[in-house]
Formats: sequence, C-alpha cells, structure tokens
Amino acid sequence: MAAATAPGPRALGEEGGGSTAASALSMEQIQSLTDLADLEAAYSRLCEEEKVVQEELDTLLEQQSTIENKMVALHRMGPNLQLIEGDAQQLAGMITFTCNLAENVSSKVRQLDLAKNRLYQAIQRADDILDLKFCMDGVQTALRNEDYEQAAAHIHRYLSLDKSVIELSRQGKEGGIIDANLKLLQEAEQRLKTIVTEKFDAAMKQGDLPQVERFFKIFPLLGLHEEGLSKFSEYLCKQVANKAEENLQLVMGTDLSDRRAAVIFADTLTLLFEGIARVVETHQPIVETYYGPGRLYTLIKHLQVECDQQVEKVVDKFIKERDYHRQFQQVQNSMMRSSSAEKIEPRELDPILTEVTLMNARSELYLRFIKRRIISDFEVGDSMASEEVKQEHQIYLDKLLNNCLLSRTMQELIGYYITMEEYFMRETVNKAVAMDSYEKGQLTSSMVDDVFYIVKKCIGRALSSSSIDCLCAMINHSTTELESDFREVLYNKLKQGFPATTFQDFQRGVTSAVNIMHSSLQQGKFDTKGIESTDEAKQSFLVTLNNVEVCSENIMTLKKTLESDCSKLLSQGFGGEQAQAKIDSCLADMAAVSNKFRDLLQEGLNELNSTAIKPQVKPWINLFLSVSHNIEEEEFSDYEANDPWVQQFIVNLEQQMTEFKAGLSPVIYDTLTGLMTSLIAIELEKVLLKSTFSRLGGLQFDKELRSLIAYLTTVTTWTIRDKFARLSQMATILNLERVTEILDYWGPNSGPLTWRLTPAEVRQVLALRIDFRSEDIKRLRL
Amino acid sequence: MSMEDYDFLFKIVLIGNAGVGKTCLVRRFTQGLFPPGQGATIGVDFMIKTVEINGEKVKLQIWDTAGQERFRSITQSYYRSANALILTYDITCEESFRCLPEWLREIEQYASNKVITVLVGNKIDLADKREVSQQRAAEFSEAQDMYYLETSAKESDNVEKLFLDLACRLISEARQNTLVNNVSSPLPGEGKSISYLTCCNFN
Repeated sequence: MAAATAPGPRALGEEGGGSTAASALSMEQIQSLTDLADLEAAYSRLCEEEKVVQEELDTLLEQQSTIENKMVALHRMGPNLQLIEGDAQQLAGMITFTCNLAENVSSKVRQLDLAKNRLYQAIQRADDILDLKFCMDGVQTALRNEDYEQAAAHIHRYLSLDKSVIELSRQGKEGGIIDANLKLLQEAEQRLKTIVTEKFDAAMKQGDLPQVERFFKIFPLLGLHEEGLSKFSEYLCKQVANKAEENLQLVMGTDLSDRRAAVIFADTLTLLFEGIARVVETHQPIVETYYGPGRLYTLIKHLQVECDQQVEKVVDKFIKERDYHRQFQQVQNSMMRSSSAEKIEPRELDPILTEVTLMNARSELYLRFIKRRIISDFEVGDSMASEEVKQEHQIYLDKLLNNCLLSRTMQELIGYYITMEEYFMRETVNKAVAMDSYEKGQLTSSMVDDVFYIVKKCIGRALSSSSIDCLCAMINHSTTELESDFREVLYNKLKQGFPATTFQDFQRGVTSAVNIMHSSLQQGKFDTKGIESTDEAKQSFLVTLNNVEVCSENIMTLKKTLESDCSKLLSQGFGGEQAQAKIDSCLADMAAVSNKFRDLLQEGLNELNSTAIKPQVKPWINLFLSVSHNIEEEEFSDYEANDPWVQQFIVNLEQQMTEFKAGLSPVIYDTLTGLMTSLIAIELEKVLLKSTFSRLGGLQFDKELRSLIAYLTTVTTWTIRDKFARLSQMATILNLERVTEILDYWGPNSGPLTWRLTPAEVRQVLALRIDFRSEDIKRLRL
Repeated sequence: MSMEDYDFLFKIVLIGNAGVGKTCLVRRFTQGLFPPGQGATIGVDFMIKTVEINGEKVKLQIWDTAGQERFRSITQSYYRSANALILTYDITCEESFRCLPEWLREIEQYASNKVITVLVGNKIDLADKREVSQQRAAEFSEAQDMYYLETSAKESDNVEKLFLDLACRLISEARQNTLVNNVSSPLPGEGKSISYLTCCNFN
C-alpha cells in the first residue's frame, strides 16, 4: 500500500511545480534548435516524457475514490473533536486549581511549623529567663544562707544557659531589670568562686577533710575543674608529705637491732606508696562522680610531683645512711684493680643489694598500680573519643610513668645495683672456688653447689626487683660468669690431666679383685674401701669431671626454674610487651653454656681414656700375643683348666674401672666404659691380626671373645654388640672347618648377618689360620 | 622460636650517646617507620627481623640500648653475646662524636674480641647542621679498623644497606669460624665462642 501511494504526492508535486521544470528540455532549448535532427530528437524525447506523465496521471486518477472516502470519514469525526477539546480544557482547569490549593496548604503548614518552633523557643526562653530569674534570686538566698552547694547549683545552671538567651532577655521590655540582675548574678558567681576558694583553703589549713571535700565538689559546678583538682591535690599532697615526714623521722630513730632495720628504707618507700595508693583509692569515686571520668590522670599527676619529692628525700637519706655511692665507688675500684688489697668484702654488700631490689620492687608495684588506675579511668572517659585522643592520652601516661623522678631515681639505683651485684657474684664465686673442698664419698666438690647457689641467689635477687631489664642484665652476667670464669676454673683443672701412674692395686692379686668383682656383680655397687687411691690428682680430675657434668645439668635446671619464675612475674603484669622475648633470648644464651660444659666433659673423658685407660689396657691386650693360639687338643684342655689370658684381662679391667665407677657419676662412668669398650675392640683387632691360629686356637679365641663381651655387657648400659661386630665376624672366620665354608655365610647366604669386613679383610683373617692353604684363600670368589 | 625458621641467627647491639637516633634506625629498619618525638629508650628494646641474603634466611636480633648513663650497667651486659655492635653518633652533634673513644673502651672491656663494630653517623638529612665532617669520621673509623657509614633514619638513607651489609659480613665471618673451629654449628652465635678444641689439645 505504502509503495503504491508513495509515488502519488511526488507526481502531484511535479504537476504543481510546472511540467516545464519536470521536462528534460526547456522551452528556450527547443526554440534555439535549428537542426532537424536535433528537433527530431527533442520531439521524441518530449513524446517519451508525455507518455510518462500520462501514466502518472492515470495512477493518480485511480486513487481519487480512496481519497474521497477518507474525506467523508474525516468530516464525520469533526463534532467529536470539538467535544474532546472541551473536556481537555476542563481538566486543565481542575489541575491548576488543585495545584494552587496544594501550594496554599503546604505554605500554611510551613508557617505552622515555624510558629510551633518559635513557640517552643519562646517557651524555652521563657523557661530560661525564669531559670535565670530563679538563679538570680536563688543565688542570693543561698549565699545569704551559706548554702554554697545550692548557690553553686544555681551558678552551674546559669553557666549552662545559652548565652544568646541572656543577651535576648536583656533586649526585652524588662531589659534594665534583667541587666541589673545579671550583673548581680555575675557578681555572685565571682563571690562564690572567691568564697569557695577561701573556704577550701581554710578547710585545708585546718585539715578538715569533710569541708575540703565539700568545697572540692563545688569547683566543677563553677567550671573550675582544673583548679579544683589542683587545689584538692595540694591538700592531698600535704597529707602525703606530713605522713612521709613522720615516717622518715621514725626511720632515723629505728634501732639497728630492729627486725626490719636492714630494709627500713624500702619499708619507708612502701609506706609512702601505700599512702598515695590509699589516697587514690579513697578519692577516686569523688573525682569520678563530680568531675567525670578521665580526670584521675590530672589528680595523680599532681600527686606524683609530691611522691617524687618524698622519694627523693627517702632515697637521699638511703644513699647517705647506707653509704650507697661510696660502696659503689669501692666496688668499681675493686673491679679495676683486681689484685688490690683493699677489696670490698662482698658479704658486706649483701644487705644493701637486697634492700635496693626491694625498693625497686615496691616502686614497680606502685607504678603499675597508678598505671592501671589511669588506664581504666581514661578508658571510661575515652569510650567515644577518637583514636587520636586515645593515643594522646597514652602518651601522657607513658610520659608520666617514664619521666617521673621516681622512675629515674630507681633506674639509677638499679644501675649501680647491677654493677655491685655482678661484683658480689664474681667475688663470691671466686671465694667458693678458693674454698673448694671435697668430701670422701661425694662425687662432686663443694664449689659446684656453692657457685650455683650464688648464681641462683644473685639472679633471684635481680628477679625480686621486678625489673625485667635488671633481671636480664643479671642473667647475662651470670652467663658470662659461668661460661668464662667458672668454666675456665674447671678447664684448668682438667688441663692438669689425669696422672698416668701404674695401677697400684694390680699387685693385690687376683683373689681380692675377683671377690670385689663378685660383690659388685651381686650388689651392683663397689666397696671402695678396699681400693684406696691416695693420689689426689686423680681424684681431683674425676671430681672435676663430675663437677662439669653437674654444671651442665644445673644450668638447664636453673634455666627451667627461671622460666617459671619469670612467667609468674609476667603474668602479674610486670614488664613491657617485649619482656618475654627479652627473657627468652637471655635464657637461651644461658642454656647454650650448658652445651659448652658438655663439650668440656667429652674432652675430659677423651683425655681420661687416652691417658689413663689406653696405656693400661693396651699392654693387657698385648699379652694376648704371648698366648699361643696355634694349639692342639692337649693345650686346649689345659687352657680350659687354666685360663691363659681373658680371665686375667677381665679382672684387670674390673679392677681398673672400679676406681672410675666409684669416683664418677653413673652417666659419666657409662660414657667412659663406652669409650673403653671401643678402645678394647680396636686394640684387640690389632693384636688378633698379628696372631696365628689353629682350628682349636680359633675356637679358643671365640670362647675368649664371648667371655669378654659377656663381661662388658654387664658393666655398660650401652649396647656393645655393635662395637664388637667386626671381632665377632673375625672369630666366626677363624672357626671355620674349611676355607670354602665361608661361602655358606657370604654374599647371598649371609642371611640376617651384615658383614663389617671387606673381602680383603676376610682373606686376611682366613690367612691367620695356619691350616688354611693360601691358594684356597686366593681362589675364593668373594 | 623454631630452629628451622632460619639459617643464621645474629645478635646486633646498637650503642652510642643518648639522642643520636638508635631507636629510629632500628624502627626504620624493622618496621619502616620514623616515629617523630620518640621518647628516650628505657633499658633495652628488642626487635627481630628476618632477612634473606643470597637465598639464606638470616634472623637478626636487634638490641636497641638506652644511651643514658644510668642504663649503662644494663646495656653493658649485652655486649659479650653480641655478634655485631653498631656504634652510632649524630653528625650534627660534635659531643656524640667526641664520646666515641669512651664507647670503644667499653667495647674493648665487655665485648667479645671477635665482635664486628660498625661506626654509623646518623641524621644526614640535617646536612646544614652538620658538625662532624665525613672525612674526620672516615679517618677515625679507619684508625680504629671499623666499617663506617652515614645514614638518615628519617629519609631512610643507607639504613637498609647498613643492616644488610652487616648481615653479609656476619655470614662470611660465621662461615670462616665454622671452618677454623672445624665444628659444624648451625648457630654462628655458638661458633664464635672459644672452643675447647682450639684452645687445648690433650692428645
């Protein structure tokens, strides 16, 4: 349809625009034509055009009826459109009306709202003005009646009023009166401030606590928080000072025989701290109630100034009375000139060291108390505060705690203390070493117990100061003392060596030795009375070995004890965040010293093995060479009846080890027998390879080896089978019937047996049998 | 503290006058912070940082000591176990430089003779206030046979280099020690002590 009608309007348009325009040729062009051919061409073109126009006209004519139909329909719609227009106009009118109405209403509501607000404000203001009036009257009355709380309440009310209200009420009709009243009120405020201050001062002078507290409560009502706290602190400080003065007087009068005389300055500090703590405890509720949370810091800051002053007095007295600085000087001098005759006696330092640590412990306890109090007070006050404010408060607190004179004074005292304690420890350890004694029947000598007692005491004392840095410093010094000085002492003793004398008891003969052996086997213990070593050097060496081992163990025990002691201290909240890490690190260093003592022990045992055991054992083993193992039936039975070597060897070993068993701790003895066993295995292998064997000789050796292993198994807890594995395998080889029998045990036939011998060694051992032909041995395929 | 966390463990102790910036150097290195208005250190502080050098984990235990005199007896107790000491002064403070010989005497007295000492001039960000010339410090450190470096904890200049170079030297030192002592010690802190084997021979 659209395609059919579309050309229509265009064709009409062409018609309206003039056919000349639509024609490809204009009239002028046609008139200017002179040539016939041209004319003909123009004519034919015009004819074509005419045809096209004719067609277009036909098409348009065809559409005429459709258009007429549409026109009829449009004429019919005419009246309806008029109706719609009317309706639309009506609707528009209504909407405009509604809109106006709505705007009207809302503006009324706004006005109403404004009116309401103003009404409220008016009421508020009226209230405020009434209040103001009430305050004006009330203050006067209250002041007249000396009811300062009431007066302050009125002033507080007045101060919390909106300043603009006051300004406004002055502009009112009664401006003049109000102005006058206001002036009165301001005067009253000033008067009240003066009165309260005066009254407070008077009450303070008289020490009238109820009155002091009464006026203290009034200050915040007048907006004088800082003044109130500072005045109140002044009062409290005076109380603290008076009490401290009294206590210090008491100290001066204390009898030297008094039970607490040695720690009297620590006690005085304790009283001071307890006094302040009590003050805080008692007055914290008032401050919280009347001044709000977060104000305790201010109060304590003031109190701390007084505390510092009093501490200074006590510490000054302490330094003077106890001669603290001179003693420190002396200690320093003694440390510089190590051989000086005027060395200070360490025992003299003992009481003062204890007192200083006690003083510091009390200070730490007190500082921890105020820290906790301030933190919790800040927490309440800062619950809504920003992170910055909280951090600022934390910095205030840290500054107060770290920079107060009390902290610095104690740090100084502890600084001196550590040097003196180190001196005490070192000198006392030296003394213990010098006075070292050994009691028969004991494994260790007195100095080990003494030294560890001293070290424990010194670290314990440092721990009792509650200062983590002090404790760590003393742990470090103890580590140094043990690792360098004391280990050096033991090391030098070991360096003197074990005297390589001949074994005296060898001459005592077999019988007593066998008896001893039997009794030892039955009771598992030796009777040492039979074998008395008079050689002190030997004993000293063995005792030192025991000492070294005990040291190593004691260090670990000490470390464990300190760990648990420290965790107790830390769980009470002492020390900073790194306290645990610091202690752990220092204790780890201490534990490392334990290993150094173990190394020393091992070296000492090697020394003992090579200088005492080896020179004895070697000749005994060499005796094996003088016993022929190239034997026949007769000699074999003879050996059966009169053992040629191994029994005596065992007796000798037994006898030799008796001394060590009695003189060494079980652990060390065990290690030593282990070393000895290895030595025997190596040496016996050497002599074996130098001997020759018959078939029965091999059997004899097997018997001997079994006896030896059986004996050694009873004296050591180590498994010795392994150490004798090579020898046992050699005995097996020496016991073979024929050379080729080895193949029953070798290679794929070895079964559970793991050969410790190389094929070359197997051939070497086979060659020891005189009855085996070397060609057979050579021919073996191993 | 698991043993497997690291290949080497070294103790480094910072010493020097109060206020030369020891704490700031440590904070800068361990936490990347420069806390302004740092209060004086009380006693000793303790930080740990593990760094990786040539694929090996090196745990640095850094002890930051208080410079004030009254803490001296505490800080001295840490010298002996230190593998390295960082002796710090403030380039804008002549006094802190003049005290160095005193500090060296302390090191002589308390530290192990194998300790590595590094001289550090801090606060080079305050160049216009410099009182100690680089040449003087270099000459001094040379005379004392010390490694020398200037740093700024504030601008983070040379701080990383200071600790990492030190760690490298400690590693090579530890390797050498292990070789000399013929003891395979996983912790070089152990290896540096006088071994029984080297000072005495029973056999």
